[in-house]
Amino acid sequence: MRTQPTLPAPRHWRNGLLVLPGLLLFSATSASADRLVQHFKVEAHPVVTIHNPNGTVTVRAWTKSEVMVVANRATDNVAVDAEQNGNRVDILTRPVSETSAPEDLRTDVEISVPEDAELQIHNDSGGVNVSNVLGDMNVETIAAGVDLEDAAGYLTVKTVGGSFQCVRCAGRLEVSSISGNFRLIDVRSYYVRAQTSTGNILFNGEFLPNATYRLKNYSGVIEVRFSPGDSFDLSATSLKGKVHNEAKLDPPSHHHFLPRFGNALFGTLNSGRASVQLSSFDGTINVLKRN
Amino acid sequence: MGAFACNEFLNRLDQWMEGERPFEARAHFRNCPRCRALVGDLETIQHTSQALAIDAEPSPRVWQALRAQLLEEGLIRIGRRGWAHVLADWLGETFALVPRPVLAGAYLVALITIGIAVSAPAGQHANEAQWIKGTESSTQPLSAQLETAERDTISSLREIDPVVTASLHQNLAIVDNYIALCEKSVHEDPENEVARDYLYDAYQQKADLLAQMSERGDDGQ
Repeated sequence: MRTQPTLPAPRHWRNGLLVLPGLLLFSATSASADRLVQHFKVEAHPVVTIHNPNGTVTVRAWTKSEVMVVANRATDNVAVDAEQNGNRVDILTRPVSETSAPEDLRTDVEISVPEDAELQIHNDSGGVNVSNVLGDMNVETIAAGVDLEDAAGYLTVKTVGGSFQCVRCAGRLEVSSISGNFRLIDVRSYYVRAQTSTGNILFNGEFLPNATYRLKNYSGVIEVRFSPGDSFDLSATSLKGKVHNEAKLDPPSHHHFLPRFGNALFGTLNSGRASVQLSSFDGTINVLKRN
Repeated sequence: MGAFACNEFLNRLDQWMEGERPFEARAHFRNCPRCRALVGDLETIQHTSQALAIDAEPSPRVWQALRAQLLEEGLIRIGRRGWAHVLADWLGETFALVPRPVLAGAYLVALITIGIAVSAPAGQHANEAQWIKGTESSTQPLSAQLETAERDTISSLREIDPVVTASLHQNLAIVDNYIALCEKSVHEDPENEVARDYLYDAYQQKADLLAQMSERGDDGQ
């Protein structure tokens, strides 16, 4: 089944609904001058793609087996296309005219999805907020920041300058940026790879057994917080910067290729069950006790 | 995993790579993720180098890396057919249709992938002059290609949103600065493989960023 309720401009939405009644069998649309609400019935593990270059994208999980899209447009110079194709819902905002000013194209989109939904989000400026979604997720932004809460699955996030924050995330996390700062709080991931050039990275999470945590930047600060009972193998190297450590590490029990360059620290806390690899070109690395 | 076991394995790495794999080494290999990862890396380098040297044709691993990058950049998409067909079609049919900056981005990714493969340190005993020569021979073409791609990309970039355009320019400047500092480090200390890794990382970032900018020039979003 394929539905394509499109709202090119508010004046035409009633005509659109008259033309498309058969296509709206499993979806419902209502709109005011600058607000569009749409519902799509979905099955388990739906895929939701969102392309909203300008404005915020907020995604929340709910218990219904449907996707609800609420789009708030700054003006009618921007159209919101939402289309269902099988178990996938695609949401796209686009300018109606090429001469529109950027502020006229802003659209804030709020989406409610089943918690097992898979998300693919593209947002240039504005911001992305996702909470309680447990499916896989791919988020790409330019300047927009990305905030995830209680997410799980395979999470990949790529920004150019946008910051990234992940609170209580689980699963596998891969995040990269050029100048974005990263904050990973109360994370319970078995694999984390975070790389930013000039941004700071804060990791204050759980070190799971057999998990790997790779944090890398060019400059800026990498800060890792630990508790005395944590268990990890640590490798921290800054080519031109400093490495500060508050952990009482045992000498490495495992062979390391000791670098001939820069400041490096290797060691094991408790039985070294997780692997923590920190590297920076000229940034500072801090391994500090959790408060 | 005891230190002796890993040291022992690493001492026998040459034999391992030549196919001599006694029982103890195989047992250690099975149980040690780090040694497995190291062997994986060495095999990739070995296979890629062999393919480049003999056939002048990148190995499947290089194509896989290239394909992953192209997928990530959205330049190709997985259809029902295998990726090899998609990539072949993309290369064959759309070569003349794809805008030059997009091609440049993809080409740079390919160049960097191959550049990293051929310039990986061949041994710890190489002298400084060899390091300089090796690094220059791999980075100069990349640098030139990046400059060309940057010119094309900047000229085709459409300003839809000034915030986004400013962010792209600002981050391009950050990456350029990053490249300059890494190049300086590599020049000062040619045998510093860590600095060289950061340099290649920086080139990769610039190629990625230019590809993103190219897409914006292409579709205006």
